[in-house]
Amino acid sequence: MARGWNTVLALTGLAVFIAIPSAALAQDTMQSDSMQKDSSMKDGMKQDSMKHDDMKHDDMAPDKNAKALFTGTFHKQVHGTTGRATVYQTEDGKKILRLTHFKTSNGPDVHVILIAAKDSKDNSLSGNLERIELGKLKGNEGDQNYELPENIDWAKFQAVSIYCERFDANFGVAPLVKF
Amino acid sequence: MNINQKSWIQRNRSILVLVAVPIFLAAWLAFRPEKLFVNQKVSEAAPFMAGGQPQPIYTGTLEGKAHPTSGRATIYQYSEGKSFLRLSDFTTSNGPDVHVVLLKAEEKALGGIAIAGELDKVELGSLKGNQGDQNYDLPAATDLNKYQTVAIYCERFHVIFGSSQLEKF
Repeated sequence: MARGWNTVLALTGLAVFIAIPSAALAQDTMQSDSMQKDSSMKDGMKQDSMKHDDMKHDDMAPDKNAKALFTGTFHKQVHGTTGRATVYQTEDGKKILRLTHFKTSNGPDVHVILIAAKDSKDNSLSGNLERIELGKLKGNEGDQNYELPENIDWAKFQAVSIYCERFDANFGVAPLVKF
Repeated sequence: MNINQKSWIQRNRSILVLVAVPIFLAAWLAFRPEKLFVNQKVSEAAPFMAGGQPQPIYTGTLEGKAHPTSGRATIYQYSEGKSFLRLSDFTTSNGPDVHVVLLKAEEKALGGIAIAGELDKVELGSLKGNQGDQNYDLPAATDLNKYQTVAIYCERFHVIFGSSQLEKF
């Protein structure tokens, strides 16, 4: 009898545990659905799968011109990573990193960072490599924008890395070259 | 003996579960294995207006083959469909009868230096200058799914000065 209860307990715990992340995921999707109205813009991808961070989107309402400063394509390191990273400068001087045709593996605690190197073929990033944090990866697939801090030394930080902080795993790197 | 052991496990089963479940949960939280199967797709709009201005659709950097060549090659497309190739920060060597052409990525001539016979190419015109930014209109029928390599090609000596494998912008 006691054994039965323990099994039930364990299974319930497991079920709750699995349900929480998927519920959170569903919530995210719903949220983006309700925010679709103000997005209006282009992009071949299905509207349903649209997901964006409202604050960023509002800040960067697509009503101004921008020019591409640097661009490069991702090569894989620890996980298959493809697509393009481009640094844009908008008319008001703000700089934005945009990932397009982007795809990588999903994972825990994955971040977008700039690294103080031309490129990196390492699977982990050594501790003394300087980096600039741009934020958590918004999605492992699809177009996405990240605001860049001001005064980045582009002669020093020349590559974008998709980086798993928890396991010091360098998923993939895009060396940036002048556009 | 055997029976005794069994009963020990059974007596302590709840403790074992209490220990095992948090360990399992912690490991799961750290590795999040379900993410291997769950994709998170996003599709943010570009942070600028796409209308009116021609948009880059392919780009790549030029590399020297027979002659040092550098710069960027980008194909822009107008919203109405017309497209052109733009060379920027461009430098190559000067030469006789130099042309800008599009080749297939698997073109054998890209491997060697001199080429025998006709090239399977899309002609974009004579090179306007061996330095500086310049634009070349693409023929309307150009199949950019096939011809994705820009080459600076000396027609007279069948030599590729430099080339660039374009990738989607």
